Amino acid sequence: MLQKTTFLCRDHRAVVIDELRRLLPRIEGTHKSLPFGLATLDSHLPEGGLTCGALHEVVPETEASAAAAFGFIAAILGRLLKPRLLVCVTPAYGRRPYGRLHGHGLTALGLDPTRLILVETADRKETLWAIKEALHSSVPAAVIGAIDKLDLRTSQRLQLASSDTGLPLFLLRPAPTLESSAAATRWHIGTAEAARDRFGLIVRPRWHLHLERCRNGRPGQWVVEYDHVAHRFSFPAAVAHPSHARSASEAPLRKTRCA
Amino acid sequence: MLAAQAKRRCEKPVAPDEPFVLIVASSGGPRISALNQAAEDLGLTVSEPLADARAKVGFLQVRAAEPAADDNALQKLALWATHYAPAASPWSEDNGADGFFLDVEGASHLFGGEEKLIADLAARLLKNFGFPAQIAVADTAGAAWALSRFHSSPLFVLPPGQETAALAPLPIAALRLAPDTRATLRRLGFKTVGALLDKPRAPFAARFPNKLLRRLDQALGRIDEPLKPVIAPPVYHALRYLIEPIFTQQAIVAYARRLMGTLTHVLTRDDVGARRLRLCLYNVDGAVESIDIALTLPTRSADHVARLIDLKLEALAAANEAGFGFETIGLAITQAEPMPARQTEFTPASEDDDRTERYAVLIDALRQRLGPQSVRCFEPVESHIPERAEILPPLNGEASAWPAMEQPRPLLLLPRAEPAKVTALVPDGPPRRFYWRGETHEITGAEGPERIAGEWWRQMPLPARPRESGDPDLDSRFRGDERKNVLTRDYYLVEDRCGHRFWLYREGIYGRETAQANWFVHGLFA
Repeated sequence: MLQKTTFLCRDHRAVVIDELRRLLPRIEGTHKSLPFGLATLDSHLPEGGLTCGALHEVVPETEASAAAAFGFIAAILGRLLKPRLLVCVTPAYGRRPYGRLHGHGLTALGLDPTRLILVETADRKETLWAIKEALHSSVPAAVIGAIDKLDLRTSQRLQLASSDTGLPLFLLRPAPTLESSAAATRWHIGTAEAARDRFGLIVRPRWHLHLERCRNGRPGQWVVEYDHVAHRFSFPAAVAHPSHARSASEAPLRKTRCA
Repeated sequence: MLAAQAKRRCEKPVAPDEPFVLIVASSGGPRISALNQAAEDLGLTVSEPLADARAKVGFLQVRAAEPAADDNALQKLALWATHYAPAASPWSEDNGADGFFLDVEGASHLFGGEEKLIADLAARLLKNFGFPAQIAVADTAGAAWALSRFHSSPLFVLPPGQETAALAPLPIAALRLAPDTRATLRRLGFKTVGALLDKPRAPFAARFPNKLLRRLDQALGRIDEPLKPVIAPPVYHALRYLIEPIFTQQAIVAYARRLMGTLTHVLTRDDVGARRLRLCLYNVDGAVESIDIALTLPTRSADHVARLIDLKLEALAAANEAGFGFETIGLAITQAEPMPARQTEFTPASEDDDRTERYAVLIDALRQRLGPQSVRCFEPVESHIPERAEILPPLNGEASAWPAMEQPRPLLLLPRAEPAKVTALVPDGPPRRFYWRGETHEITGAEGPERIAGEWWRQMPLPARPRESGDPDLDSRFRGDERKNVLTRDYYLVEDRCGHRFWLYREGIYGRETAQANWFVHGLFA
């Protein structure tokens, strides 16, 4: 193969580059990423998508945006090609202000609920243990965890565990998260007015994504919508639907906070 | 067979050397149910009225009998005895409820013979629990029971095949008969078991249809007597007696690993793997700690089992009291399942097999540490009521297909629908604004209603309704109570100005089921 490449090198530079592109993913098989499929967004991320072996923090902008944050994670994981198991570690019943995941709601968002293993924990120590255990087993395709407080050292440990096994770890943090952490990215997820069809019915949820921190990348803000049938992210159409003209003019792509 | 009659007569004596009795209430006043040696020496007997006993003896210590506590203590004693042999069976009420059977077949050689085993058992019963025991070994449970009660020496081993000769001189009571049967036999002139042996059977069968002949046959080994063990006897069992008691978690795990290592050979030979295990830790002071472990897939791996035990011990660490240390450690496989041998030398294990195995290891570990109920999966249920439309059972490895929902369903469902203050243009119209959890949300778009009626077939039986009072307010309230379970809900998917999407419902059809619109928030959409 090397000889062939060297041979080609003399004549066609473009061919060589194509050949290298074809070979490279095999060489660095471990450095996979989860792309959004949106060039504008992926270009901000170091590997053209969310790094697989890394810790990603997802923070809902307001408490009521918790569903949007869960939806964002579900959308990313719904896009995985190989439908493998997912482990979701959440505090036990009664310690979650915003209810629990609903199987039919997951189906509606394009994620098969049978893929999900729910792990309920009594305290933070158990949550961290269960997350690490799931990462080390390298059985699931990804691990989702909800945790309230996380110091720098713990986050470093989680980041290491994640990069060792090459599994993405999504941590859901409560709204005012200000501690520094070793996470590869930190996303603030807010809601935006949903895409509606001509009868005014909601067809696609829209989220306001704010990439606040990104190691080896650039922060940014976008409004994206998610199509659960095609498992596809897209930017909202340039012209908002007439039925939303009023609200669109009131709140154009700004970080909206509820009064 | 071996029967140990542990006298639990001196459980909480105020002064052990003074006469002491336990009493039960009966017709005609309290009667003695148990007594200690000092009381026996003074001529008191079981079932004597307490008043008579007090008249005979000047000083008498009396406590009420606690049958439930006695039963519990007997269970614990039988559990403790499993470190001699795995099948121990505490005596039921018919047997007197004051001892246990222990099946020592195949276990006595470990102690150097049956005599040495019962000597050790008697010594430990006295040392650990303070019970002076009467123990007998025989081929049948019935004979062992009779000899333990009525033989002159406290420790006795009956050579095989001599039941008839040994039982013949014993009184009729040695056959474990009901008191009325015993009384009738005595009236008929049968004083000893021997008197019954050579008599024709038919008249006895006609006269005593219930137990007499069966008890006789059981004692002589003509018919089998099933014993009910205190814990299910294991399929495979490994036990280790330790010279020095152990205390630490590491030591326990190390010994458990070694025990599992010895079991692995047997498991491999039989092509099976362990699905359920029990680790028994026998404390020096007689208490037994047992740890049950259930596995997702059959396994033979000593490392895996040792790790699970480690996790379990860690979780129990706070409650676990090593006390004086553990002197014996036993690992039993209570359920084994076939586990085909796999070729691993020449062809590498396929990735799928490997993953299934690692999956089982992960689930086992999570369950051991967090409890079996904390690892769950989603399962759909045929119901229109959203909170009933799915359950979260403990993970069982069976995946069921999810029905596609036509209607929108929220991603997060609140554990209980929360009341909200809603402003709507008309009482049965969509909401315009609502106040919930301290915030007012202006609604910009509402979809619905999706009408979900209550499941009338689940309705509880109606309470008797009071007479019509004529008061419309009161009547409507009763109507509301009656239909509480079947109120129809109108669900709306609403979006507020910030883009938050909620699932609201109005309870009851306005004007037909309810006079005022009650609104609830039930879920959040992504």
